[in-house]
Amino acid sequence: MKKYLGPLSKDNPILVQILGVCSALAVTAQMKPAVVMALSVTVVCACSNFIISLMRNTIPPRIRIIVQLLVVSFFVILVDQVLQAVLYDVSKMLSVFVGLIITNCIIMGRLEAFALSHKPFPSFMDGVMNGLGYGLVLVIVSFFRELLGSGTLWNHPVIPQSMYNAGYLNNGLMILPPMALILVGTLIWIKNAKLGKAK
Amino acid sequence: MKNFSNTYIFLYVSALVLIIAVGLSVVSIGLKPKQEANKQAEKAQQILKAAGYNVERTQAIALFESVAKPYPQNGEREKYAIRCADGTTGMVVSLSGKGLWGAIWGYAVLSSDNTTIKGVSFSHKSETPGLGAKISEDDFTQRFVGKKLYDENGQFVSVRVMPKGKYGDVKEVNRVDAISGATITSRGVDAMLSKQLLIDNR
Repeated sequence: MKKYLGPLSKDNPILVQILGVCSALAVTAQMKPAVVMALSVTVVCACSNFIISLMRNTIPPRIRIIVQLLVVSFFVILVDQVLQAVLYDVSKMLSVFVGLIITNCIIMGRLEAFALSHKPFPSFMDGVMNGLGYGLVLVIVSFFRELLGSGTLWNHPVIPQSMYNAGYLNNGLMILPPMALILVGTLIWIKNAKLGKAK
Repeated sequence: MKNFSNTYIFLYVSALVLIIAVGLSVVSIGLKPKQEANKQAEKAQQILKAAGYNVERTQAIALFESVAKPYPQNGEREKYAIRCADGTTGMVVSLSGKGLWGAIWGYAVLSSDNTTIKGVSFSHKSETPGLGAKISEDDFTQRFVGKKLYDENGQFVSVRVMPKGKYGDVKEVNRVDAISGATITSRGVDAMLSKQLLIDNR
């Protein structure tokens, strides 16, 4: 089990591999979309890792990127279609992310780096763990951005009205993408200070 | 690494594409009726929300049919006469415009003399979550309730969506605050209302 835990800390996809940063900036203004995005990336990453790993000995290396892209888009579209019919509310929340999932570098990155050279089960676990490691960073960043930027958490107001009456203002900069970049940078800094630099 | 022939590569990709295409088409066709039903129900729910009703999506169609009826159309916009949650009657005007990333649309319920907004609801295809996507939240739509479409001289001004502190000489009853961080989406809503509520009042 221990060998799969790397992506949560010292091999985190965002903080160490610097993958998936673009979507981490886009969806972390509030916690709810951040969590939905993290879950969908986890599902797609795990499933496509599994399938690519099953196919790995038949895939001609020259066209492997095309094959990976086909499998990933197949999963994303399939999940999207099923959600639209069965879990409509979840699908509404997800709709904007569907395109982002296909292009999420973590998925392609893990297919290339892991699934092509490992057995199906370890690949599946690798997908799950990288998805969760990605989610962990998203949750931390969105927690601070939503709290300081909108004064809410999970859409519930947490900063008492009396504070606003006393002159407190939400920090508008927090909900803009540059602040996400600064927060991710701060996390990388903390991580490097605690666990040492990536080699 | 094994060496694959060109024929193998060609057949491999063709087969893969064929499987995926057929698989997705079957799924898409099979699920279409359910997806359409969901969309219809959501539309009914949205209109009802603008009229002050709070219903689950599953009950929306039934309630909609009992309180609303299509209004004779004299333009391309859909209109409905509706009995609002507070017992008064109003007219539903459908709206459509563009936000930052894609389409935005919505419904406005006007008072029977067409001068006051009784309620609105907005939807969007792909606005940024936490920013532009906030136009569909109650926090934003509630700002429109009771706003007037005309100024004190009887001139049409629509309900303007304006950033804080940049109101110019637009009076409070004719404007609402825009969403900070979502300038383009807010402008889209502003333009949508200015254009489409005017046509319906001529």
